This record gives sequence, structure tokens and C-alpha cells, in this order.
Amino acid sequence: MMIRSLSLGVALAALAASGVMAQELKFEPGKDSRFHWDSYETLKSQNLKGQKITILGSWLGPDKALFESVAAYFEAATGADIVYSGSTSFEQQIVIDSEAGSPPDIAVFPQPGLAADLAKKGYLRPLADGTEQWIKDNYAAGDSWAAYGRYVGKDGAEHMYAFPYKADVKSLVWYVPENFEDAGYEIPQTMEELKALTEKIVADGGTPWCIGLGSGGATGWPATDWVEDLMLRLNTPQDYDAWVTNKLKFDDPKLIAAIDDFGWFAKTEANVAGGVASVAATDFRDSPKGLFTSPPQCYMHRQASFIPSFFPEGTVIGQDADFFYFPAYADKDLGKPVLGAGTMFGKLTDNPASDAFIAFLESPIAHEIWMAQTGFVTPYKGVNTDVYGDATLKKMGDILLNASTFRFDGSDLMPGAIGAGAFWTGMVDFTGGKSAEDVAKQIQATWDTLGK
Amino acid sequence: MEQILFGLTTIIVGVFGCAAWFWGSNFLLDAALPPRGPNAGRNITRASMIRPWLFLGPALVALGLYLVYPVFESLWRSLHDATGASWVGLANYRWLFSDPKFQESILNNLVWLLVVPSLSTFFGLIAAQVTDRIRWGNVAKSLIFMPMAISFVGAGVIWKFVYDFRAEGRDQIGLLNAIVQSLGGEPQTWLSIPFWNNFFLMAVLIWIQTGFAMVILSAALRGIPEETVEAAILDGANPWQLFFRIKVPQIWGTIAVVWTTITITVLKVFDIVFVMTNGQWGSQVLANFMYDWMFRGTPDYGRGSAIAIVIMALVTPIMVWNIRNARREMQ
Amino acid sequence: MENIAGTKARLTWAVNLAALLLVIIWTVPTLGLLVSSFRDKDQIAATGWWRAAFPSTQSDFFRAGPAADQKQEGDLWVIAGNAFEPGQMVSAWGTTSKAPDALKPGEVADLKDGQQLTVAADGSYRLTSPTQFEDGRGMRIFFTSTQPPKFTTDNYVKVIGAEGLGRAFLNTMTVTIPATVIPILIAAFAAYALAWMDFPGRALIVAGIVGLLVVPLQLALIPLLKFHNDIGLGKSYLGIWLAHTGFGLPLAIYLLRSYMTGLPREVIESARVDGATEFHIFRKIILPLSFPALASFAIFQFLWVWNDLLVATVFLGNRPDQLVMTGVLRELLGSKGGDWEILAASAFISIAVPLIVFFSMQKYLVRGLLAGSVKGG
Repeated sequence: MMIRSLSLGVALAALAASGVMAQELKFEPGKDSRFHWDSYETLKSQNLKGQKITILGSWLGPDKALFESVAAYFEAATGADIVYSGSTSFEQQIVIDSEAGSPPDIAVFPQPGLAADLAKKGYLRPLADGTEQWIKDNYAAGDSWAAYGRYVGKDGAEHMYAFPYKADVKSLVWYVPENFEDAGYEIPQTMEELKALTEKIVADGGTPWCIGLGSGGATGWPATDWVEDLMLRLNTPQDYDAWVTNKLKFDDPKLIAAIDDFGWFAKTEANVAGGVASVAATDFRDSPKGLFTSPPQCYMHRQASFIPSFFPEGTVIGQDADFFYFPAYADKDLGKPVLGAGTMFGKLTDNPASDAFIAFLESPIAHEIWMAQTGFVTPYKGVNTDVYGDATLKKMGDILLNASTFRFDGSDLMPGAIGAGAFWTGMVDFTGGKSAEDVAKQIQATWDTLGK
Repeated sequence: MEQILFGLTTIIVGVFGCAAWFWGSNFLLDAALPPRGPNAGRNITRASMIRPWLFLGPALVALGLYLVYPVFESLWRSLHDATGASWVGLANYRWLFSDPKFQESILNNLVWLLVVPSLSTFFGLIAAQVTDRIRWGNVAKSLIFMPMAISFVGAGVIWKFVYDFRAEGRDQIGLLNAIVQSLGGEPQTWLSIPFWNNFFLMAVLIWIQTGFAMVILSAALRGIPEETVEAAILDGANPWQLFFRIKVPQIWGTIAVVWTTITITVLKVFDIVFVMTNGQWGSQVLANFMYDWMFRGTPDYGRGSAIAIVIMALVTPIMVWNIRNARREMQ
Repeated sequence: MENIAGTKARLTWAVNLAALLLVIIWTVPTLGLLVSSFRDKDQIAATGWWRAAFPSTQSDFFRAGPAADQKQEGDLWVIAGNAFEPGQMVSAWGTTSKAPDALKPGEVADLKDGQQLTVAADGSYRLTSPTQFEDGRGMRIFFTSTQPPKFTTDNYVKVIGAEGLGRAFLNTMTVTIPATVIPILIAAFAAYALAWMDFPGRALIVAGIVGLLVVPLQLALIPLLKFHNDIGLGKSYLGIWLAHTGFGLPLAIYLLRSYMTGLPREVIESARVDGATEFHIFRKIILPLSFPALASFAIFQFLWVWNDLLVATVFLGNRPDQLVMTGVLRELLGSKGGDWEILAASAFISIAVPLIVFFSMQKYLVRGLLAGSVKGG
């Protein structure tokens, strides 16, 4: 015991010492051979000393610190000065700042919808030539990713306006491995198996799912992820794309089927913890806690890769809690579709240093630095996935890299009045008892009034 | 350190700048048109024509720049499309009046306008009256006033712990449901019960605004001349009569001011709805509706501005009433 | 007489009771937040705050020590320990999530491979095995227990220790004080002119000010920031003072004017007759008499500026060196929210200064009122 605490002290002292030495850079360049340090060295050929790049994003707290740890390498190599500021009201602020004429050099958009809108109004600058091709060549499902950065500009022509960096995987089902062990459940490989497992848990007297749609003013959004995921598992990606642009109407039978499939999970009294009534009322942040109670309130929770921040303190991901891929129907032959989201970097000024920064995001090291820490997965094929900070991240990254189809969160792509309004409300109404047809018609009706 | 110095200097410069303007301009006016000597009469008349504008000047400039100009800018934008590039005439307004969400917002706002100002003023009046008469009045006042000092984000959390919902049978962490459950009732999702959820949102604003009403009304109540009250007591008025027949009429003007101010706060109410329901489940109000169109998702500044103009139009009756009041006071 | 005295006593009772009732209703929600700010995240999600002071029943699990902790006793390998806090008592326990309360304290559970587990009422457990433990991670031991109430100051430590809070405090002060004083000064003069000077267009201006009260703030953000950028003011303290002044003026003028019209006419008239200049009347008579109204408005404007985040982020920016306190607190919460315990603690930290202001101003409120012979309305 004594020896251990002593060695701990030494380790801490060493850590403190290294902290002083390499305050700026989390990982000493050249040291860990798993990183692509060569891409860091090439960065040094650029001299941007004294140039300032302002970046506005919605990352705050730990995410902000992580992003700054990546930016520090760009600063160290080129001498540029990056000033990042985060805001919870990012959307509002970027609109105000660009309209008023004091935009940041770079904005980090949490979803493409707003970026597309700013591009249309002429506030975004096209990215350097070749960026689009680079994404297509180097990202898994590169065509999909590239499409999310292409918008119509003020001139009416399409350009590449935003660079996707940092992805979120949404098609995940979280569970507690030991609870599965205790009950003797196996991880389902197909949607059919998942549904069978759901029924088996109910038959065993347990509750299979924790579903919470509550999110204050944004209540309803977790259900839109469910519907999108199921849409990709029932219909082709082309149908999905058509739906997002409303070429496939919201009240199309294909979509109603997806909503009803979500209803199979969420609108069956025995399937959800607390019963159907609590689905819309439970906060999405409180919802996963049901996995960890004694006895467990539920066995499974479908939510994106960020949700571990809301697990009880001290939960070790990979041991106390783990996830499996939200499986596809075996009889549909639609491959392994993955629903996700990502942040998009867009330029709002003609600052040449911004181009250099976007180019930096194309280098493996810009991804690896964050990968080696927490909360970051990337579809970039050129990185060394051994760098991932933990096995869980690597597993998520693999889902992204092996995706046969990748689709962006549809509600983020729809017009705000739908994707951040009618769709949310509609899903709340749906869990409240309305039929899928009624809800779909109501959402389509709202969509019809747009742009008139 | 630099920051503090900079802050202090600017505070001093700012405050003295303002003071210097008022003092200096008045001094110059008096020097140019001295109220004595041969032309005293003419000078006084002229000076008293100019002086109000010296007093009003800075305020009018600031108001014009910071409020009037944006209003006209919005009026202009409300007649344009989302990008502000092309003229669309009244299309945004036509869209607005046919939009069901707008109709819902207007109706909700009317309910808010009826309930919140009256209850806040009523509770404020009661609070002012009772706290003025007890020994621990200052403590009581501070406690009732406290909600005003809490930011809206804080208020959002506070009321989460009141309205929170857990499925029946589980430990409730929301006070209201805990009470309901302990009385044998069924827990409710308060904020998603259509129509009634408006009242749960209103409760939050009433809770906040009562402190405001209390502070202003308490100042007015204490200002009622002693003689009036004593005379009424000698006439044998009981405490109720004293309060409602003597005191309330005396401070009627102040009550009207409080009422107006809270009414206007209600028209602008945004944070509470935004944080707690974001206008879902039929609880939309105009200001949040406007915010949705101005900044959320795919912003349409044209439509957002049109909603803003409607909000401002709603205040017209209050303006008219205030003009008449001001006219009456002048006589 | 006796009758009147009796009525009076009863009335005093009624008044005290009414006040008490109001105070309770108005403080209970805030009290909930105060209590919550001393609880940890999991406690807040588990039980209502009003139960914080009582022993609570909890169903949870802890882990037995890892294989590395095992000791050999005779021919048994033993992992023993106690994960409970003093005062926490087990009422039931179990070894699987399927049956978390199958056993009573002191009972022995037979596990696979001849392993045995027992948990005592005080939470100490003893896991024995005839063979060496290999699994790196300790097994889960489920329990139902009652435990004494527990409070923590960690939330406050975290908020106060937040990076940049000191700087942000200075920034907030730099924003708040001028943004409170300047509008009051400007408004007081304007209010006097509107209340006691006769000139054409007065009623119209009063109505205009009432109309401006209702201008939604969001509407003014883009045009004004554009204006600030155009005149080269950009995002600066000067900009935010002007913005707060503009936004605060209508209410200030409206409140002060309605107060000043209520001041006794004779005092002002007689001063005018004595040949006092308007400036003199304003400074020597109106200002002192209006002190309560000035103080009330100062409180409101101070609170509004202090708690504001929107105007600050738009007109001052949110770079680390520009952040105000609300900005730092918001940052503590992270981008996804849900840290109710941090929110609760920060709400109480940010409320401290406004309350001090209120208490110190309240003294003036009372004094000003007692000194002046003010007529209401």
C-alpha cells in the first residue's frame, strides 16, 4: 500500500513536471510513433507568425479545452494565433455577427442547415479548390460527407463551403454488459433479433428500453433520431435523401412505416421504463440513468455517442456500460446504415490563414490529437485508429469507417421550422397518442407553408 | 489591474461627461439668455422653450438610435424576404395571419396579458401592504423580491424542481408531483398539458414580477400622507375599508404604472417559454415565436420582423391610454 | 376600547400570517435550489430536495475489491472490505441485477465454483473462494440501504474555482456600474422635463416612450451591432454601455416621470416664483425627493444588466478576456446542459451581489421616503 502511494506520488510529480514543460502540446511531437508526426512537421513550412484567426463555435467546457489542445499544434507549428470562443447561443450569435458585419474568421457549425442558410445569404466563403475531392477520397462514405458541405451560394451556384471535422455516431444502443450477463441476454445482430430480445425481456418481467424525449425547449428531438435510424433501415438511402428535401413527402407510407416502427418500441406500454406516458416527459439526460439502477429500470438505451457524459459519475465505458450497433433488418438487404452528425467548419472572411487552418484539418495529426483524448471519432481513413484514447472510441470509429451508408441527422438538414420544430412537436404528439398518419400529415402541412 | 483602472476611468468620465453636459448646457443657456436685465421676460420665455430639449436631448438621441432606428429597420425588413434582398410587400404579414402557430401565440399572449399583470400587481399590493406593517417586513420584502435577482437560467432550474415529472410510483423530484402523489393523485406532466401549461408558465413570471410590483407599490403606500390615513381612522374606517377605499385610490396612478410595466414585460416574455417549453404543446407566445423565426434553424429575418411589428402594434391601446393620462396631468 | 384592541391584535396576527404565507410560497422554489446546490448530481436525480435532510433509502450496487486485493487465509482466498459510509445500513442485498434484494444482512450466498459471499448490516462484505480470484474487476454487490443525509460544498468549490471567474467578475462590474448610472442620470433629466416643463409635443413623447418600452431586444441586435461596426466602435465596453443605456432608458424615463409627476406642485411652483433656475430646482428639490424612485430603478437596471448574457455576448463578445460572469457560468455547464448541481450553485453565487445591492439600496429607499413629504401616485 505504502509503495503504491509512493509510486503514485512520483507519477504525479512527473506529470506535473511534464505539464510545465509541454503546457502547450498534449503529446510531445515525434515521441509517440503511433501518431503521424510527419504531417505535423510539414505544417512547419508555413509561417503565419503574428496572424490571428478567430473561431466561433458551440463547444464549451471540456470540448472547448479539447479543441484548443488540437489548435495548439497549429499554433506551435505555424506561429499563428487562434482565438476560439464558444457560445451556447451559437446559432443566434453567428447570425447576428455575420449580418452585422463582424463575423469570426471561422465558424464551427453544429449542423449543416444553418451553414447552408448563411451560404445562400452570401456570408460564407467557398473553401479552397480540391477540398471537396479530398473529402471524397479520404473520408469513409466520402460522397455523403462532401455533400453535407456543398451548398448553393449567393451566386446561385454550388460550392464547397464547409469542412466536416469531428463526427458523432447516432446508431448506438447502450447497455450494461453485466446486466445482460445476469439475465443471459445476447447482443442482437439484426433488427429482428433486437425485437425478439425486446419481447423476451418483457416476457422475463423486465423493461427493455429507457426512452426520454425531454429536452426543455427542444423536447422531442431524441425521437427524430429514432425515426431517422429506422427510416434508413426500412428504406433506401435515396428515399432518405428525398425525404430530407421533402421530395418524398412526410406523409408518404414509407415514412409512416418508420414512425410506426418507432411506435413499436416506444408506444408499447411494457417496452419502456415508466410506461408510454413518461417517454415524452423524461429528460433525455436523465433517461440513461435507468440502465444503472438497482434493479435496472431498463436494459437498453438508444442514443448518440455523446451520452456517456450523462451516465452516473464514475461509470467506466467499456466495462460498466457499453454499446452495440443499432442493427439493420436482415431481410431488407440495406447494408449497415449509420446515422450520424458532425461539426462543419466554414470560412466567413477572406483571412488567408483560415485556409491554412482548414488545410491543417486535412492532416492526420489534427484528428489524432483529439482521438487520443476523449469524445472524438472521425471518418478519416488516413489516421491510425490505434491512437484512439480508449477501446470504446475505437469501436465507434470502426462503425463509422465500416459504414456502407452514412447519413447525416435528417432533422438537422431540414428547414428549421420542421427539423427544429414541427418534427419535434409531432413526435411528442405521436408518443402522446396521435397516430403516425395524423402526425405525418400535420408535419407535411407545416412544410407546405414554408417558402410561400 | 489595467482593467480596473480602465473601468474606473471610464466610469468617472462617463458619469462626469453626462453631468457636465447637463450643467454646462444649462449654464450656457442662462448665460446667453439671462433671466434678468432689460430683456428678462423675453429671455425667460425663449429659454423655457429651449431648456426642455436640453434636458431631453441625450435621452432622445439614445432612444432614437438604439430603439427607434431598429424599429424602422425592422419595419423595412418585414416587407422583404429572408435575405433582405427583394421586396415582398405584405406577403410576410399574409403568411403570419394564416399561420396556426401565430394564432395560437396571439391567443396565449392575450391570456398572459389578462392573468399576469393583474395577479402580479394584486400580490405585489398585498405584499407591500402586509410587509409594511410587520416587524420583520424588510426580511420578508427581500425574500419576496429575491426571484427578481435570479437570472432566467436560474429560474428555469428552480422551476424544473417544481414541475419535474417521474412516472407514477417512482420518487418524484418535482415538488408539485410529490404533493399530488402524496395526496393519492396521479403525477402529471404539467408543462405538456395543452392550454393549462400556459398557467404553469405564467406562475413563473408572476413569481418574478411580484417583487417588482411590491417594491414600487410599497414606496407609493408609504408616501400617502399621514393625515389622510388618520382622518379615515377617526371616521371609523375598518382596516379593509382603509386599505381598499382610502389607500388604493390614493396610489391608483402608481398601480397603473406597475400594471403597464408588467403588461409590457408580458408582451416581451421570451426566456421563460424558451427555456421551459419552447412553445411546444400549445404554449407558444409571440416573443418566442419571433425568436424562432429570427435566429433558429433557417432564420427568416423578414418573417421575424413582421412578428416583432405585431408585438409592437399590440401596445397601441396602452400608448393611447398613456397619452390621455399625460394630457390630463398637464392641466 | 377592549374590542378595538382585540380586533387590532387579531389583525396583527392576520397580517403576520399573510406575510408568512406569501414569504413561504415565494421562497420555497428558491429554497429547493439552495438545498440542491449542496447535493451531488446523482442525489439530485434520485430524490426530491425536500428529502435531503432525512435518512434516505437507496437501492444501488457497489463493487467488491478487484482480484489484486485478495488475501490468502488458510486455504481460502478472501476479498473483504466495506464501501459504505458511517451510518449507512444494509436492509437487503443480492448478487445479481435480477434479484438485487434476495438476501438479508448476514446471510451467505453461494456463487459459482464454490465461492461464497456475505454482507453484514454495516455494509462490510467478505467474498471467499477455494481458488485464486482471476477476474480483474470486482463483482457487483447489490444492496438496499438506508443512509444518513449528506451534503457537499463541492459544487461551490467547483464554481468558485472556475477558470477566469475573477476576471469575469471585474468585467461584469466594468459593464454593470456605468450601465446602471448613465441611464439613470440621463433619464432623471428627461423625466423631469416630461413631468414639470411645459412644451409642445410632451404628451406625444411620453406616448412614444411607452411604445418603445415594448420593443423586443432581439430586434435591435443586428441593426445596432452593424451600426457599432460601421462607426468603428466594434465590440467594446463603450458599445455595451451605450446599448444597455438605450435599452434601459424607456423604463427609466417612464418610472421616474410617473414618480416625479406625483411630487407636490407647491414646492416646485414656489421655488420657481423665488427665481430658482430649472437646473437648480432639479438638483436641489427634485433629485433628493426622487431618491426612492431612483434607487428602485437603480436596483432593477443593476439586476437586469448583471443577469444579462445576451447583450453581453453580442456587444462585448465572448472571448475569454471579454466574458462576463453569466458567460463563465454558462461555460461551466458545458454545451449540453443538465448539470443541475452546478447551475444551482452558480445561481446562488451570481445572486449574491444583486442581493447585497438590494439590501444596501433598501435602506435608502426607506430613508428617502421618510425624509420627503411625498404624495403617492
